[in-house]
Order: sequence, then C-alpha cells, then structure tokens
Amino acid sequence: MKGTVIQLEGVTLHFPKLKTLTTILRNLFNKKESRFTALKEIDLAIKSGEVFGLIGKNGSGKSTILRVISGIYPPDDGTCKVAGNVSLLAGIGTGFSAHQTGIENALLYGSILGHNEEEMTRKLPEILEFSELGDFIYEPIRTYSAGMKARLGLAVASAIRPDILLIDEVLGVGDPQFREKSKKRILDLVAETGTVVIVSHSFGLMKDICDRVAVINKGELIMIGTPEEAIKAYYDITG
Amino acid sequence: MDEPNSRVKVTEVGLKPPLIKAPLYAIQEMFNHKFLIRNLVVREVRGKYRNALLGYTWTVLEPALLAIVYFFLFYMLAGNPDKLYAMWVLIGIIIWGCFGKSLQAVVSSLTRNRNTIHLVYFPRIVFPMTSLMANIVITLMSCIVVFPIMFAFDLPLTIHALLIPASVFLAGFLAIGVGILLAPLNCIYQDVEHLVRFIVRAGFFVSPVMWTYEMALERGAFGEAAMYNPMLTPITLARHGLEGHATTLPPEIIIWTISFGCAMWLIGSIIFEKYERRAVKYL
Repeated sequence: MKGTVIQLEGVTLHFPKLKTLTTILRNLFNKKESRFTALKEIDLAIKSGEVFGLIGKNGSGKSTILRVISGIYPPDDGTCKVAGNVSLLAGIGTGFSAHQTGIENALLYGSILGHNEEEMTRKLPEILEFSELGDFIYEPIRTYSAGMKARLGLAVASAIRPDILLIDEVLGVGDPQFREKSKKRILDLVAETGTVVIVSHSFGLMKDICDRVAVINKGELIMIGTPEEAIKAYYDITG
Repeated sequence: MDEPNSRVKVTEVGLKPPLIKAPLYAIQEMFNHKFLIRNLVVREVRGKYRNALLGYTWTVLEPALLAIVYFFLFYMLAGNPDKLYAMWVLIGIIIWGCFGKSLQAVVSSLTRNRNTIHLVYFPRIVFPMTSLMANIVITLMSCIVVFPIMFAFDLPLTIHALLIPASVFLAGFLAIGVGILLAPLNCIYQDVEHLVRFIVRAGFFVSPVMWTYEMALERGAFGEAAMYNPMLTPITLARHGLEGHATTLPPEIIIWTISFGCAMWLIGSIIFEKYERRAVKYL
C-alpha cells in the first residue's frame, strides 16, 4: 500500500459566533468579527501506513482537524479527501445510557460508532472479555464507577478496525493497571491499522510511535517534521 | 491523489447528494442505519420510564388521568355531554400528545444529541427520526387503553380500529415534517424550542381534542376554518376507529392533510439537509 490516503488542501473552517439581542446592539457601536476562524488554509498529505501526530496548545485546532477528516465539520473552503473508512476515537463512552445494562450500552455505543448488527454480535465476546466487567455487564451502567465505564467504552471503541484511525487524547483512563492495558491496546490498534492520526499531549508517546508530527498554532500549520523537530518547534512557540 | 488499493474508495469529505434528492435520501439513510436507530429508540423509550414502579403503565395512565380531568372540566362547563365524550377526549389526548411530543422531540433532537454530534459523523437525519420513532412507539403503547374502553362501552371491534394506529403514524408524519424544518434553527436559537412548546399547548385547544369537527361545523364559519387544521384528520380518524365505524370525514379533508404532510416533509427535509451543517457549528 502506497500513496496518500488523507489529503487536505487549503482547508479553512470558521465557527460562527452566536448573536443575541445584547451582542447585536453592542455591535451597532463597536464592530467586531462575527466569526472565529478555527483552521486557516491547512495543507496536509498523510500517506498510507503512516502514524501521524498533531501537537499544539489547547484550542489550537488539533481536534478540529480530526473532526474535519472524520466528516463532522466539512471544510468551508478547500477540500479534504479521504481514501477508506475513517474512525475517530474520542470522548470514549459518549452516548451511554445510564439505565441500560453494560451489554445494551456496548451495542448502543458500537452502533453509534458505525458498526452494524452482524459486526457487533461477532465482536461482543471480545469486548466483554477486554472490559473485565464480569457479571457487572448485566447491571445498569449507572451502578458503574467512572473507571468501569471508561473500560467498557474503550473495549467497544478499540474493537473497530478502520482503514484510517483518528485518536484524540484517549489514553489515561481507569486504574494504573488498566491504563497500561489500554495503552497497549491502543498501540496494538495503531500497529494493526493502516494509517493513524493521533492528537496527544504526551510527547513521550508521540516520539515513540509517530513517523511525522505537525505543529498547529492558532489554526495554522506551523511545520511538519520528525517528532523531535516538531516538539522543539512547539517549545519555540510556547516559549 | 492516487488510490492506495482498489478496494478503497477515495471520498471527498462533506459531499452530499443534490438537495432536491433530500426527501428520498433521508428515507434511504434510515434503512442504512436500522441498527443504530433501533438502539437509539430503545435508549429514548427506556430513558423515559426509568426507575418507575409502574414503568410502561404510565404510557396509558398519563392520557387516562388527563382525560378524566378534562371530562369533569367539560361536564361542569357544558353539562351532560355525550356518554362517549370522555373517550373522545382520551383518544384526542393520545393522538394530539403524539404530535406535540414528537414535534418537541424532533425540534430539540440535534441540541439534545450535541455530544454525539461532536464525536462521530453519521447522517444527522437519524436524530430527528429516532425522536419521532420513540414517540410513536410510546403512543402505540398508550393505544392499548382503547381495548378496555371498547369493552366497557360496548363498542364493536371492527376493521376500522386500524384507523387508530394509522392516525398515530399520520400525526407523527405531520410532526416530523414541521419538526425538521425547525430543528437546525433551534441549534442556533433555542428560542425555537420555547416557541414550539407554546404552540403545542395552544394547538391543543384549536385541535379537536375537547371538541369534535361535527360540533365545530354547527358553529358556521369558525367550524369551516377548523377543518383545515391538519391535526383534525388524525384525531377524527382515531375517534371514528374507536367508535368502530368508517370515517365520515370528507375525503378532500383527508387528502388536504396528507398533501400538507408531504409538502412539509419535502420542504423540511430540504431545509434540514441544507442547514444542518451550519447549524451544528453552534452546538
């Protein structure tokens, strides 16, 4: 497998600012920008088989790039082309229903992440085993601790095998033992998946797994380079 | 950009079929996401009756208690109504409730699911569809109440009883057309939700819940105008189904209602597809 699988060309994305009566009145006297530009003409080409990292300060637009690639926010300007199916790993456990059992929630969350019924039935034993919930799986999820919920969420989310995997800060949930296990699980997932784009603040991890890393600042692409170069550039910006 | 593998298709993010196809595209997406929709509907229905001792019994109890209240109210105001009056009110409350709750749920479907929208992309028409179906399921459960009523009032159970579920679906169909028209706007200004809540409360009185179209027609011009309320058809059809006879509603009124529903669906689905993307940026 060779070639580019994700290509962003001049991707610009704006977020509108909400106008309420008070802001409309205030704007009559004091003209302000009515939108916020989250991404400014981003050009990126990510190759098949590559593990690509994105670093930058909070609010710099890293997660927004992942959301553009996964189709949540299509670009306002420019194009984003993707070859293959994409899956975004973020906000593990979003959509859980507190009053349904673990199994029901696993099916629900799996379907939200885009699995069909046949796939979920096939993967359910693996999910249950990885979550280590035992008989708790038949209990409503409101009785779970935060760590147990995170385990179930990660078990479902990591059961997917997409062509392109996008990871947004999902490491570090649960107790230390499980955290080790989940890190290993994600690394396995990274190794098995063709192409990975990862957003993380843990630079150690980025150095270990990424082939190339891009630095994003205030919605602009600053540079792309080896993990070491990128981390140096990041510290140059943040001072 | 070259194709890495013949199996893999290159797609441009955010391309959509032409807007004119939106009404059919929405229905097609519903079938493509059956499993997801089923799970989401179960979540919504379960969530509503969680931790309740009486559980799903409330689907029946709620309209029944309301009907008793309205029956006494009307009895005091008008005196000596038809013996079936309480039943008319009950079926009216169920059908109107289906429309009102579905409309409110559809309008707020995107705002209530903001976390999921931020997490993953699938066609967003799934959210209003889910809200609608959850309310239809709940209403169909409420309709079980008609069986004891038919028995108590010695009403014949005929083929016309099928008008009851049919009118539930018709009420839902009217609700989703109007609802998806407003759902994107509600992401920007949640004033819409408040306004819709008011309209649903007010609409209760201008729809034949506490009165029937036969009563309205005795009032001349006002009654004539009331016939063009699209909710008149489903409520009246359900009442006739409960009474066990074919509907006496003029066919042109039924045709008008169905055409109104189709027109709202066409406009609503096109507006929804056109604006949902811009709208979710406000979430």
